[in-house]
Amino acid sequence: MDEKKLTLDVMDRGAVYCDIRKERWYSTVLNLKDGVPETIIQGEEEGAMTRVLYGNGWGYVGTADMSSLESAMDRAFMMAKNSDPLRKQKTGLAHVDPQHSKVIMPMKEDFRDISPEEKLDFLRDIEGHLKCDFVKSTDIRYRDTLVKKEIITGDGTHVEMEIPRTVTYMIITGKSDTVQMAVHGVGGTGGFEMSRSTYDHVDTVKDMLKNLLKAKSPPSGKLPVVMDPHLTGVFSHEAFGHAAEGDLVASGNSCLKGKIGEKVASDMVTIKDDPTMDGYGTFPFDDEGTKAKNRILVKDGVLNDFILDRENAWKLGMEPNGGARAEDFRVKPLVRMSNTILEPGDMHFEELIEGIDRGIYAKSTSGGQVSPAQGTFQFNAQVAFLIENGEITRPLRNVSFNGFTLETLQKIVGVSKDFETGVGHCGKGQSAPVTDGGANVLISQVTVGGRE
Amino acid sequence: MIEESVKSALGHLARLNLQGDVYGERSQKVTFSIMNGEIADSTEYEDMGLGIRVIKDGRIGFGYCVPGKERECILRAAELSRLSGTSGIILPEEQGICNVKTYDEKVRNALEDGMGSELCGNMIDAAVSTHKDIIPSHGGLFMGSGTRVIGNTNGIFLSQDFTAIAGGIAASIPGERTSLVASESKCSRRMDMDFEHLGTLAGDKVLSMKSKSENPSDKLPVVMTPHAMGMLLWFGLIPSFNGENVRKGKSVYQGRIDEKVAGENISIVDDPTRDWGMGSFPFDDEGVAASPIPLISQGYLRHYFYDLKEAASSDTISTGNGTRGSFKTPPQIGDRNIIITGKNHPVQQLTEGKVILVDGVMGAHTSSPASGDFSVVANPAWLVEDGVKLGRLDGLMLSGNLPGSLETMVLGDDYEKLYDTIGSMSIRMELPSIRLTDITHSG
Repeated sequence: MDEKKLTLDVMDRGAVYCDIRKERWYSTVLNLKDGVPETIIQGEEEGAMTRVLYGNGWGYVGTADMSSLESAMDRAFMMAKNSDPLRKQKTGLAHVDPQHSKVIMPMKEDFRDISPEEKLDFLRDIEGHLKCDFVKSTDIRYRDTLVKKEIITGDGTHVEMEIPRTVTYMIITGKSDTVQMAVHGVGGTGGFEMSRSTYDHVDTVKDMLKNLLKAKSPPSGKLPVVMDPHLTGVFSHEAFGHAAEGDLVASGNSCLKGKIGEKVASDMVTIKDDPTMDGYGTFPFDDEGTKAKNRILVKDGVLNDFILDRENAWKLGMEPNGGARAEDFRVKPLVRMSNTILEPGDMHFEELIEGIDRGIYAKSTSGGQVSPAQGTFQFNAQVAFLIENGEITRPLRNVSFNGFTLETLQKIVGVSKDFETGVGHCGKGQSAPVTDGGANVLISQVTVGGRE
Repeated sequence: MIEESVKSALGHLARLNLQGDVYGERSQKVTFSIMNGEIADSTEYEDMGLGIRVIKDGRIGFGYCVPGKERECILRAAELSRLSGTSGIILPEEQGICNVKTYDEKVRNALEDGMGSELCGNMIDAAVSTHKDIIPSHGGLFMGSGTRVIGNTNGIFLSQDFTAIAGGIAASIPGERTSLVASESKCSRRMDMDFEHLGTLAGDKVLSMKSKSENPSDKLPVVMTPHAMGMLLWFGLIPSFNGENVRKGKSVYQGRIDEKVAGENISIVDDPTRDWGMGSFPFDDEGVAASPIPLISQGYLRHYFYDLKEAASSDTISTGNGTRGSFKTPPQIGDRNIIITGKNHPVQQLTEGKVILVDGVMGAHTSSPASGDFSVVANPAWLVEDGVKLGRLDGLMLSGNLPGSLETMVLGDDYEKLYDTIGSMSIRMELPSIRLTDITHSG
């Protein structure tokens, strides 16, 4: 089937825009629980999503039956045409130069050349390094995926790309007065070499569990908090990044609406979302075929840009920057983050904690949540430590923070020169692989939830 | 057609002299997205696929494919099986299967007739009509219909149709710096939802947030609505009944069968046989007949739940809790239709005196599945006195322990069905509002 002709035919019928996103996925999933292979899956699938904009109406139809692509496109056209008269608000797409390119993202060690046996042996070896007297249970989860995408648009773009991703999660459990669990993920866009570095993180997850097993509940109230680079990354993603997503801004669901050029954070804060840097959320073109660009969202405390697909760039009168991502061919692209980073500063870690009489040093995270419209956030540290008189003293667990994003960004009073990143999956109705990262950051006051 | 594909796969398994089961699913879904006061777009997707589990010498291999690729998938799964450990899994044989209502022709017709747009519009109009300042900022409507089929080499071949409909709307009042937002959502397997009412509820809720109260410094009882409580329980309590967590010491309930673990009025049952339950089905995703599983009865711990594989590891039988996120994932242990029952009080009684009313929590997923400890943000929440909302509470953090809370919780009578998906797992519950007295609040 000639997909280019299919898109041109739909444009000839009066569509403002249309595209076809074809995807073929290959994946291997391995799960080693307490040394026993629990899950071993290999699979492949393909499908396509068609989109049509007619007037101001959108229609999206996806199919796993590639022989029915023409009828899917026709159905999307009819849905868009029928919805046009119902729309009160105008919409459109910002211009992008048509792209013609094929990008195969490299794998130093192609995971297709490594047998499931070898991958399992690797997990068993990791397990051997994790085992010790306080680790009662291990759960190691490995996944590699290769997606081959082809995007053909009615306005002339035709891009192809192959994106390999690999991730390994180490989950270990121990028991003291209660059962405690520590989790750490390692991965990126690339081949099996991404997982080889899992060894470098074994001590990190073991240290977390060791501290959790002797940790106590935290104090509650408003306290100064030092976030480690992993937690800083999650803070940047959850508290700020979601509010900078163009669809939320354009629809009035973000506390950052209308604030471009305004001071939204302390001078020490520069945050970027960069799909072109090495990370788990890296891609060459977004799922509309727009070339990926580094977005400097906040520059020295001033709001500088949003993450934008073509429609929301049109609505906001801005330039698209490759912000459209879809989980797979079953769903439409949404505005999503990629690799979100709070840039390091020039302080030493010791300088951050030396002036704190009573505060918290929070490490890594077990997740977070945000309300971009209300500008509020909540996130948890995996493990934390009490800071007393400028020194780190005892470990804490079940440490949770919340606050107003814009107030909290203004309360950042120290950023260290250290820099680390972590991997994760962002949920916004669809899952997207992302990297978050940054430096150690001192916030002068945050609300901490605890049972003491 | 999906039935034919499952039969074809079973035929291949027989010819290859392999044991196994085949799960097939065909579904059609339509979603409408609400953005900024109107329907922004609609999406249709029709999905179909098979998940094939091959058991060779007691070892399990799994693969998934589209219809027509059954043989290749089986051979790949058989090849992978040699890498797994010996499981001792025993596939079910023919059993008595109860009748459970899961399919409503009216939902199917509404889906095919394109009624979603009108229903979604009703929801938007109702929210807007509650007050001129209100914008239905986001939300949507979902309608789905499909067929699930499970067959195995022991002769089981089961098929059942299902439907589902869900709607949700967030009403917002834009402010100078930030907006007030409140949302309302409901789900059903039947065409019995009032979408206009949903829009009105969301509008009224956000209006009740306009006045603000100071966060209380005294310890007050906390009343959780079904939505707020459901999320906390699913992340912080339900994993403790999972047989694998029990066997591996990751459950607070390990070794405590027949111990008193909750107030004497409290019972928790996983009941997939309840007509129209969001997780109801006459058989599980491994073909085991459904039956109600009492987890806690009158305050006493009675059962854990198991799928086939964990039942073999724990030397017991499956409780019919083999669940799959889709045809792409092998069965795993999961709850199916959790219901909390007990002495129910009129919901108005729960808010007598001064209480904190919580309609949603941020960060429920950060609760500890092993200990049940949680520390979340209440959002939205109100200070309430004798049933009257005095004002919204901002940034209130709630901390506590869910297994501990079972001792003192008081149940309302306003049961709601809940449905949500978290990765490859689903939250499917029926709960009333619940009053808790042992929650620490700060902020």
